[in-house]
Parts: sequence; structure tokens; C-alpha cells
Amino acid sequence: MNALALESIAVGSAGRGRTLGAYLTETQYELTRMIRNPGVAIPVLVLPCALYALFALLIAGEAIDKDANLGIFLFTAFSIMAVTMPALFGTGVTLALERDMGLLRLKRAQPAPPAAWVVAKIASGLVLAVLAYAPIVILALATGKVSLGAGQMAAFSAAIMVGTIPFCAMGLMIGSLASGTAAPAYANLIYLPGCYLSGMFFPMPASMYWQTPIWPHFHVKQFAMHLANVTGSQYESLPMAIGSMLGFTVVFAGITIWRLTRKG
Amino acid sequence: MNNPNTSENRLHALDAVRGFALLLGVAFHAALSFLPGVPPGMWFAIDSSTNAVLSDAAFVSHIFRMSLFFFIAGYFGRLLYQKLGARSFWANRLKRIFIPLVAGLIVLGPIVSFLWMTGITKVFGGKMPPMPEMPADFFPLGHLWFLYQLLLIYVAVVAIRALVARLDPAQKLRCFVDQAVSGSIRTMAGTFTLGLPLAAALMSLPQWFYWMGIPTPDMTLIPQVPASVGFGTAFGFGWLVHRSKDALAAITQRWFANLGIAIAATGWLLHSMHAQPVAQPGLTKTVYALVFGVALWGWVLGLTGAALRFLSNYSATRRYIADASYWIYLAHLPVVVALQIWVSHWPLNWAVKYPSILVVSFAVLFLSYHYLVRPTFIGQLLNGRKHPRKPQPPGSSPSPAAPPPADTVNGGPVAQLRGITKKYGAVTALNSIDIEVRRGELLAVLGPNGAGKSTAISLWLGLIEPDAGTVTLLGGEPQDIAHRRGLGVMMQDVELPKELKVRELVRLAASYYDDPMSVEDTLRRAGIEQLANRPYGKLSGGQKRQAQFAVAICGRPKVLFLDEPTVGLDVQAREALWASVRRMLADGCSVVLTTHYLEEAEALADRIAVITRGKVIASGSVDDMRALVACRQISCESRLSIAEVRTWPGVVEAQRTQERLNITATDAEGVVRQLLAADPALKRLEVRQAGLNEAFTELTREAA
Repeated sequence: MNALALESIAVGSAGRGRTLGAYLTETQYELTRMIRNPGVAIPVLVLPCALYALFALLIAGEAIDKDANLGIFLFTAFSIMAVTMPALFGTGVTLALERDMGLLRLKRAQPAPPAAWVVAKIASGLVLAVLAYAPIVILALATGKVSLGAGQMAAFSAAIMVGTIPFCAMGLMIGSLASGTAAPAYANLIYLPGCYLSGMFFPMPASMYWQTPIWPHFHVKQFAMHLANVTGSQYESLPMAIGSMLGFTVVFAGITIWRLTRKG
Repeated sequence: MNNPNTSENRLHALDAVRGFALLLGVAFHAALSFLPGVPPGMWFAIDSSTNAVLSDAAFVSHIFRMSLFFFIAGYFGRLLYQKLGARSFWANRLKRIFIPLVAGLIVLGPIVSFLWMTGITKVFGGKMPPMPEMPADFFPLGHLWFLYQLLLIYVAVVAIRALVARLDPAQKLRCFVDQAVSGSIRTMAGTFTLGLPLAAALMSLPQWFYWMGIPTPDMTLIPQVPASVGFGTAFGFGWLVHRSKDALAAITQRWFANLGIAIAATGWLLHSMHAQPVAQPGLTKTVYALVFGVALWGWVLGLTGAALRFLSNYSATRRYIADASYWIYLAHLPVVVALQIWVSHWPLNWAVKYPSILVVSFAVLFLSYHYLVRPTFIGQLLNGRKHPRKPQPPGSSPSPAAPPPADTVNGGPVAQLRGITKKYGAVTALNSIDIEVRRGELLAVLGPNGAGKSTAISLWLGLIEPDAGTVTLLGGEPQDIAHRRGLGVMMQDVELPKELKVRELVRLAASYYDDPMSVEDTLRRAGIEQLANRPYGKLSGGQKRQAQFAVAICGRPKVLFLDEPTVGLDVQAREALWASVRRMLADGCSVVLTTHYLEEAEALADRIAVITRGKVIASGSVDDMRALVACRQISCESRLSIAEVRTWPGVVEAQRTQERLNITATDAEGVVRQLLAADPALKRLEVRQAGLNEAFTELTREAA
């Protein structure tokens, strides 16, 4: 066997442990970056909890004591906001910036595992989501402003965590299409109207029902309502909600892949 | 091979399609316990939660999955026959198809029977129902029927082939057929007509459940008409596609239109099936059979075309999955069915159970492949080669679809571009160039802006693929991550994350490599220990380049690509970086350096390649390069006009700086003679050997 063939073996033997290590290191530093970047971390971590405290405790506190459904409604709205914002902004804005920086090209040239940066972004988005969601749960349980059983609470939490996936995909799509400076604007332009028009922040009048399914927020909430078995707020079937979330994810991810394979 | 037009690449795509068809079969069988309205006794289990959408999805996959498999089998069948000849072909099929069929029946038969009894007992509420009367020709082929059918088709097709060869010695008929095949794909007539024989066979069925599509011939050894006609057509057409030289290109072109037709036809099928699930004699049945054929061929040609279009490059992951798919399909049934029976009464939604069955089944099957099949004789039997746990040297694999053997001459090039052409739209960035980097040398790639330097580097880094030619990096393809683990890279116009400290950046990059240097060693080598804990965003321009250099060398690379590494560095930082590069060279690392600074190439390079307008116009050592143009620099104080001097023979370039006239000349003596004759007042004459700068000007001017 000649020297280069031997060398090929040497360069070819990727330890499985090392690959896993690369994923973990990538994720760890992705999270480090997000936390060290106050522009991302503060609005994402503090805003939903602060808004929840304002609405559920101060403004609607008494109304919730009379109508438990209102408590669930507000809790749902701000919880979904808390988990989807890091998923969207954490992946999308940072991806757009990294594309501008040429970092994505560098990673493709380096022997980084090809999916590592995506996995790192999604994983750290999820960690941030948990960090943003936890104070809302604690606040809600401590003040008794939400009337869900332990099982329901667990199912709801799991559901909205799954619900971050279409938002991760949306973030990646925006990040792959827009420049670093434009990405936050586009993300807000899609995200914020969706919060209102999907009926997540306040109930829609019947004349507006037709347009709620075009927002991923709507399906995430429906998915959570089914899994947590909150019967009063189910407007579409469970397969429909799952199918729609899946559909959004596939379309967003598809556009991202199409765009990144063309532009890198 | 990176050229998407080579046959190897097509085989990668077709392999992927075959793997997809087989894995889709696993998903199909896993769905069968969740279908609403299936009478007990039809399948191993009936789940407590059923779903109509899943039923529709399973129906759609069932329209085409086996035909797709047979189509690809036909293509590979002829390829194998051409390659091996009749005798070895049959020996090969005996090993790959017949032995797995017999072994599968012997090993899986009892397990599947046991699961059948267990499952049926559970379906009928704990009591085993009486066994129905079996027909005289009953033979339980189970899901391995396709191997038996395949063998039958091989016999038929090889017989037809022999007959045609006898009847058509001048190949006239065959030429006509080849043209008809590619024409039928290009005009899309094939999508609409290839299903006709099958439609006729389906129409003649006395009882046809639309959902079942082509009735599965899994109960008898006697060939069944619809299956033989349908799968025979698919196989035969695959065989003919391999004959015809344009057919694959036509399939690739029409992928989108074919998928569009498939989706439209499938929509109609679903709609009619919901209205009436069992065929009644009459017009609807006829139309249904015809549309079924159109949908089937739309999917087969559309999916194959899409794969050729998008999956034609080599991917280690896809290769692995394609290799695994045969084993997985052979072995999946007991695993899937056991899980279906186990979970069938659990009070959970199908949306939880079905994905869980898939995840667990695939996990079990892939693990069994990885540990029991791939490295053992079973893998050798099924896929024709055994993969030892440790990766093999490239080129040792006998499979036709494996990556091509690399040119691994001892002491040969570590990175190579051979016959590379790369175009961006109408602009040709590289025009059939050859460059190689030898072991332990520093190759400087010089050229003006837009010459194609960065394109060459991007090819070696696997960022882009050439339109023609071969890129080799450390004996393999740069797209293969295993080969990229031997490279280090410092690119132009890249910013690293500003929030991370230099130490963290190095640690992150080191995590990609198998045997990296420690972070401390790396920083010491790059001469930036003192910057370890500074965030990247707070570094100066020169310090940033040094940090990027540290990132490039942390993995002990065998080849280091430095794209304009010293742009924006002050003299001190540049000298420091040069020293680091020299240390890498001394350790046996090969370096490719692109640069605008000629003194950088003169200071570091063993060899220089000059690229202009996508062509290598010269390559050799620094001295070679000077000798090649043999330019000398003449300098004097003179009143002569540069316009006049430029017209003299032997003058390459003339310039004036205040009093002094600077002339670059190939024939220095002749020019000096002429100078003295033309201007008697000439003073302070100097003649010296030209630097690389002048040589370079000369070279690029010649090329222009």
C-alpha cells in the first residue's frame, strides 16, 4: 500500500465520538454567542414574560379569577410567543448575519459535519425557548392564573416545544433569503402580524376566521390545545394541525435548501 | 468524479431511487394496521386508532413503489449483463437474488407465520379463527415475492434478448427502439402509453380493489398476469433506457412535468376511489385502469428524473442508505409487524404510534445492518462487498457505483485539478486547466483579479463542482468530509463570530478534526497566545487574520489553503505569518497560497502557477518563472519618450518616473545598444535581473 492510500485511511477515520463532539461544541458555542449578544437575548428572554405579567396579573387578573378560560388563553398566547421567538430570531437573524460574514462558506469548506450548524442553531434555539418559557410557567403556577392539570401542563409544554420546529424552519428560510440587516425586519414583518391575525393574542371575529390558517401560530396553538385536551379552543382537527405544521416546515425548509444550494 | 454527466454519477442517483423505493415499502407496510375499514384477517394487526389520510398516503406510495423498483432493476440488469456476460450475470443473480430469496423464506417464514398467528388471534379478540381453505397452488412468498418475480423477469428478458439478437442481426430494429424510447420520454408519450398493457391486465380482473393497485402475487409460484405485465413493462423499459444513450437525459429534463402529471392523475384516482372502492364493470373501471397507468409512470419517470437532477453527485450518506436498503427491506417485515401487533390496543393516537413504529423499526434495521450485515458475509452477499469497520483505502472497492479509484501514486500530488472547466453563466472562469500540489511544497497561485484563482480554491474545498474534469483532494473527492479532514483553510472575506474568544474559535474548529493540536499549541504556532481570551470582535484587522490562521492550522492539516492571507497586515504581522507558514511546510504540510503580493510568492513558494482568464499560462519554480520570460530591468536617465521606446523590438514595457526611464526588456543588450545610439546624453544606466513582478506582467500580457 502506498503512502497516499495510507494517508487516506488516516484522514478517513472519523470517530463517531468526535462527530458527536463537533455537534455538541457547535451547539455550545452557538448558545454562548446568543447569550453574549444582548440584542438577541434580552428581547427574546424578557419580553414574553414581562408581557404575560402585565396582562395576566395586572390588567386581566380579576377577570381570570372569574373566567378560567381567559387564564388559559393568555398563558397559551405568551407561552407560544416565548418559545417561538427564539426559534425564529435565533436561527433566522444569526443565519443571515453569518451568510453576510462568509462564515457559512467557511464551515462548508472546513470538515464541519454538514448539518452541525443547523442542528446547533435549532438546539440552542430550543434551549433559549426553554429559558424564556420557564419563568412564565413559574409565574403562572405561583399566582394560580392558569387552570391546567399537571398532565395537561406537561402535554402543553411538549406540544409548544414541537411547535417551535416550523418557526425554526421559517427562521432559516428568512435567514437564507435576506441580508443580515434586513432579516430582523422581515422576521418581525411575518411574525408579529401572525401573533394577532392567527387569533393568538385576542380572539378573532368570525369574519376573520378564513385567514387564520395561513399563520403557523394558529396550528401550533391548535396542536397544543389538542394535546393538552383543552376542549373549548379546538377549531381544527389534530391531523389537520399536525399536517399544517409539517406542511409549513417542509415548505420553509425546502425554500431554505433550494436557496442555500444555489447561493451557499 | 464531479462531472454530473459521467455514468458513475447517474448510478449514484439511480441507486438512491432504488433505495427510496425499498424504504418506502417499509413505511407502506408499517401503515397497514392503521387503515380504516379493513376486514379482520387481511393483515397482521388492526389498530385501535385508524386514519383515512394515512390510508390515502399508503395507496399513493403503493401505486408506484414496486414499479419504480423494477424499472431501476431493469436498468441495472442490462448494465450488469453488458458488463459481466451471460454466465457471470446468472452467477451474480444467483448470489444476490436467489440465495436471499431461499434464505429469507427459510429464516423469515417461521417467524412471520408465528407473528401471523399471534396477530390474528389478537385481531379476533383472543380466539384463533378457523383457517380458510387454501388453494392447491398456495405458496407463502410473503414480501419476498418481488425476488421471485424478478428472477422470472430475468429469464423472460434474457430469452427475448437472445431472440431479438437472432432476428435483428443488423441492429435496425434496436436502433429504432432506442430512438423510440428516448423520443417517448422527451415527448412524454411514454408517460401516457407505458401503462397501457398494465391497464388492460387490470381491466380484465374479475374483482379489483382499487386500493390494492397491482394485486400482489405473494400467494403462489404461478406467475400472475397483472404483476407480470406491470412489473415486466417497468423492468423492460428500464432495460431499454440503459440501451438508449439519450433516454436518461430526457428523463432528467422532464422530471417536473412527469411529477405534475403524476400528482394530477393521483388526485383523480383518490377522488374516484373514495366514491367507489371496488371496481364495477363499466366505463369507470376502464378509465380508472388507464389513469392508474398514467399516474404510475408519471411517478416512476418523475421521481427518477428528479433524482438524476438533484442527487447525481456522490454522497457518503446516501450511498450508505442505498447499500442498507436491500437488507432493510428483506428484514423489515417481522420487526414492523411485531411492533404493530404490540401497540395495536394502546390507547394512543395513530399520529403517535405510526411514527414511533417507523422510528423504532428503522433504528433496529439500520443498527442490524451496521453491525450484522455491512461488515460480514451477508453484506458481501447482498451488496457485493464487505465493509470492514475501519474504512478501506479508496479504490479497493469492486462495486461499479463506488467512488472512482483515486490516483494514488507514491509521493504524488496531494491535491489536483485535472481538465477542469467551470462556467458561471456565459463567463468561463476556468478553461480546461490542470494544476497539482505536490507533497510538502508551497504552490503559489498568482493572477490578476477575476483570473480564476478563487474558483480553483473553491473547487478544492468542495464548495463548487466543475462542469468538466476531476478534482482530487488527498486521494478522494473534496465533497467527502473524510478527505476534507486533512485540510485547513483560511478564506478571503470571512468574519468569524465576534462574540467568541479566540480560544473558543480554535476549540470549535478543532472539534471538526480527528487529531487536532491542543488549543495552546495552536495559538503558540500562530504566535497569538496573548490574544487567547480576547473576543474576536475586539481584534484589529491583522490580529483577525492571525486568528483565522490559527483556525486553519488547528487540525494538523496535510494541505493548507490560504486565500490572500496577508491582505491588510502590517509588515511585522506579515513576517510573523510567513514564519508560521514556513513552520507548517517544515512539518511536511503542503500549502496552496493565492496572493497578489509577488514578494510573498518569491519569499515562500516552491512553485508558482500563473492563471489568467481561466488558463494556467505558466507554472514552475520562482527561478523557472524568471527564466521563462528572461526579462531584465533597464533603468536610466534619458529624455527619450516612452511611446518611442515601447515600439523598439525586445521592449516589454516602458515607464517614466520623473527623470528616470524604466524599461523591461527580453533582449537587454539590444535595447541598451539602441538606447545609447538614440540618446547620447543618457546617464546612470543600470541593468538588473527582473523581479517576479515584471515577469508576471510579461506573462499576463502575453496571454492577453
